[in-house]
Amino acid sequence: MFRQSGSLTPNRLLIMLEIRKLSKTYPGGIQALKGISLEVPAGMFGLLGPNGAGKTTLMKILATLLEPDSGTAEMNGFDLIIDQHRTRKMLGYLPQEFGLYPTLTAVQMLDYFAKLKGVAHKKERGFLIDALLEKVNLSSARNQRLGGFSGGMRQRLGIAQALIGEPELIVVDEPTAGLDPEERVRFHNLLAETASAKAVVILSTHIVSDVANLCSNMAIIRGGSILATSTPRQALAELNESVWTATVPREQAPALKSHLRTISSQTVDGQVRLRVISKAERPSEEFTPVTPTLEDFYLNLVTQS
Amino acid sequence: MINPFQTRFGAIFWNEVRTNSKRVAPYALMVLFSANAILWWGWGPAVQRGWATNSDFYISRNMGGFSIVLGLPIFTAVIMGDPVIRDFKLGVVTLIFSRPISRATYLLGKFFGNFFVLVCCQSAFAFTLFFLQAVPFKGMVVLPWRALPYFKHFLFTVVISHLILAAIYFTVGTLTRNAKAVYGLAALFYPIYIAGALLMRPFSIWWKVFLDPMGFGARNSFEPVEPWHQTAEFLNQHTVSYSSLLIANRGWMICLSAVCLFVLYLKFSITERPTKAREFSWLSLSTAGEGVYASERIDLLQTDSTFVRPRMEAASEPWPRVTIAHETFSHNLNKLIAALGIEFLLLRAERSLIVLLPLALVLSILDVAFFRVVPAVSYSATYAVKTANAMLLFLIGMSVFYTGEAMHRDRELRIEPVIWATPAPNHVLLLSKFLATLVLTLSFITLTGVVAITTQLIRRHPIEIQPYLFTYSIILIPGVVFLAAFSVMLNVLLRNKYLVYATTTGIGGALFYFYSIGSNHWSYNPTLYHLWNYANLTGGNLTTILARRFYWLVLAACCLLLAHLCYPRKSTGRSHASGGLPQRV
Repeated sequence: MFRQSGSLTPNRLLIMLEIRKLSKTYPGGIQALKGISLEVPAGMFGLLGPNGAGKTTLMKILATLLEPDSGTAEMNGFDLIIDQHRTRKMLGYLPQEFGLYPTLTAVQMLDYFAKLKGVAHKKERGFLIDALLEKVNLSSARNQRLGGFSGGMRQRLGIAQALIGEPELIVVDEPTAGLDPEERVRFHNLLAETASAKAVVILSTHIVSDVANLCSNMAIIRGGSILATSTPRQALAELNESVWTATVPREQAPALKSHLRTISSQTVDGQVRLRVISKAERPSEEFTPVTPTLEDFYLNLVTQS
Repeated sequence: MINPFQTRFGAIFWNEVRTNSKRVAPYALMVLFSANAILWWGWGPAVQRGWATNSDFYISRNMGGFSIVLGLPIFTAVIMGDPVIRDFKLGVVTLIFSRPISRATYLLGKFFGNFFVLVCCQSAFAFTLFFLQAVPFKGMVVLPWRALPYFKHFLFTVVISHLILAAIYFTVGTLTRNAKAVYGLAALFYPIYIAGALLMRPFSIWWKVFLDPMGFGARNSFEPVEPWHQTAEFLNQHTVSYSSLLIANRGWMICLSAVCLFVLYLKFSITERPTKAREFSWLSLSTAGEGVYASERIDLLQTDSTFVRPRMEAASEPWPRVTIAHETFSHNLNKLIAALGIEFLLLRAERSLIVLLPLALVLSILDVAFFRVVPAVSYSATYAVKTANAMLLFLIGMSVFYTGEAMHRDRELRIEPVIWATPAPNHVLLLSKFLATLVLTLSFITLTGVVAITTQLIRRHPIEIQPYLFTYSIILIPGVVFLAAFSVMLNVLLRNKYLVYATTTGIGGALFYFYSIGSNHWSYNPTLYHLWNYANLTGGNLTTILARRFYWLVLAACCLLLAHLCYPRKSTGRSHASGGLPQRV
């Protein structure tokens, strides 16, 4: 069963990051966060939501780049919002939109970030950069100027810089947006390998398969509020034997849509393919049961709200 | 009848004009050229020698000087070097050529669109001189209002000279697709031109006619007027006429430009250049391709079919051990040095420096290199004082401009959130920008000093180092320290570099106006403009001067402190608005 926001995680000891009643309204009057609360355990945590849901605002607050109007975010007993310097020491941040100095090389860029993160010893820094470049498969492009990097290479360098200094909190904001499928899988592999039991990795995304692939826990956010927190498995169990599909003539579709909980509707070869949720019984004879996906869970919640 | 503005050529031509209208460079050139015109009109030899500022002779002389000295070929390269390169970089070229446009139309539209912009910029010089006829100084000789000589000499001397340069730069830039090659060529203009003039000395006049792009060889060979030996009355009534040799030279330059463009037309292609193959392997990042993550839920979730979750052993593969140090002074110093190193690397890639530094250097030593130097205390003192005064404007400009660029570069490149999320203290991020600009200006001062000493050596004037050290370290350095610090503070407070440029230009203009009308005091004159001479630095006034310079250093420290206190390190809606990035929710 999925839990509404604020409910407790089964294993209380695993919680590392606690967000309480976080609110943020921008000067233009847009209320980006409406007092959200979340408990984030160690490992990969997916924050799933459509564009404009408030994900980036939350990520920026956790990365000390934005101050909330109210609320707290505590990690291992200290407040991330108040003690910003300490937060930055344990933070690895990959923003959704970020740039690189185009005239520098990958090594120069990582070396710079390593120094800023406090890796003062030259030899250690050298080993770390070599290992990072190897990990993100950029060793052969180490002396190439960043201006010539493709989108995927830039993202991988971005995650490499976020991993410097063994951060305890890694905030990754929509890292796969704009990547082609091959690069996306490559990036998923990389993220999965970097997640460890010691760190909290928050992955913000609007792509359901990102969360399905990577996260052991997730939350769904929309309009600045958390709609649900769950594990992907619990989410799927919630919809078990409740998702149905049927392909019907176009003229029948409106009537079916009006009395069924429709989660998606696609036109295929002049007919309409409907995907609906019905927990009690088969909606009608045309419908056949299908295995639920995380996308069904997400769309069900989002369309409902 | 076909309206030329509605043709494909017209579309490309106007698009170039429109694109250039959004750039800063053309406006900066116009301001610079207008300022030059005002300078030559009000403070040139005409006023001292009683020459009419709008006589045919003086207009022709000004246009000639402007064409070769102040309408620097490097400016022509700035406008003409990269119009096609830009299209390739932005990937627009393929879109353009998917329309029924011929290469000739495209190239001519590009060339003439940009050349039109260049001529508009240069015409700021001619127009300023033209309008200045209406506001003569007291005692300035002005003939009755005239327009034709301005147009005639501008067209003949400036436009045609720069047409051939424009054609060469455009051709080189388009064929090599490398703007640096064009800037390099433009920077080499003077050495090549002077060497060519020396080599052509023994040859007949026809060689000069055919090989001199500026037309000076042909012009000097027939010009009978030697202004320094003529009376002002004679020069004011003198009408400059162009000889057939000079007309042949101008005609030949137009033909050469056409040949240049024809060669470009023959060689131009839009195909991708073969680049060095990247040694980049597409191996899977997963180290656990052979294994499957032990999860009973994997079949239930809609995962990518190509994704294989790695084994936990692979995930927890140890990283090289590193020691993280944050708090001590030496570690913060290391961070500052690292940030400074990056700032230098980025400064090295600044294209504007290639243009600005040689220009500033030439103009700073122009007076001591090409005019008579009368020693006041000593030759070195005169050289040091003159170069210090000449450098002043450039130092102010460099301090303001490069601080602004450094302070806003991170935001413009969208790297700011990543840097701000690191545990680098605010003072490291601020001081690195401040020190980078400071070191740049100090390097410029040193370079100018070295060139001035070399000039002294060439002119066989006795050399002393002390006057340079005294003048530069007491007068110039505290001034640039304050200017850079003040600029850092303004950039932090205003958060928009163009607003900072406008504000500093306004403040600077107002201050220099007050200084020029006699309202000049050291407490609001950070450069001590017109408030010192070399004797002050060696006599009893040294302590007073040092105290005044200390005052400005203290103010600089206050500016940095204020900048540090107000440094936001937050991505607010306002900062994004000024940086041009949308605020994401």
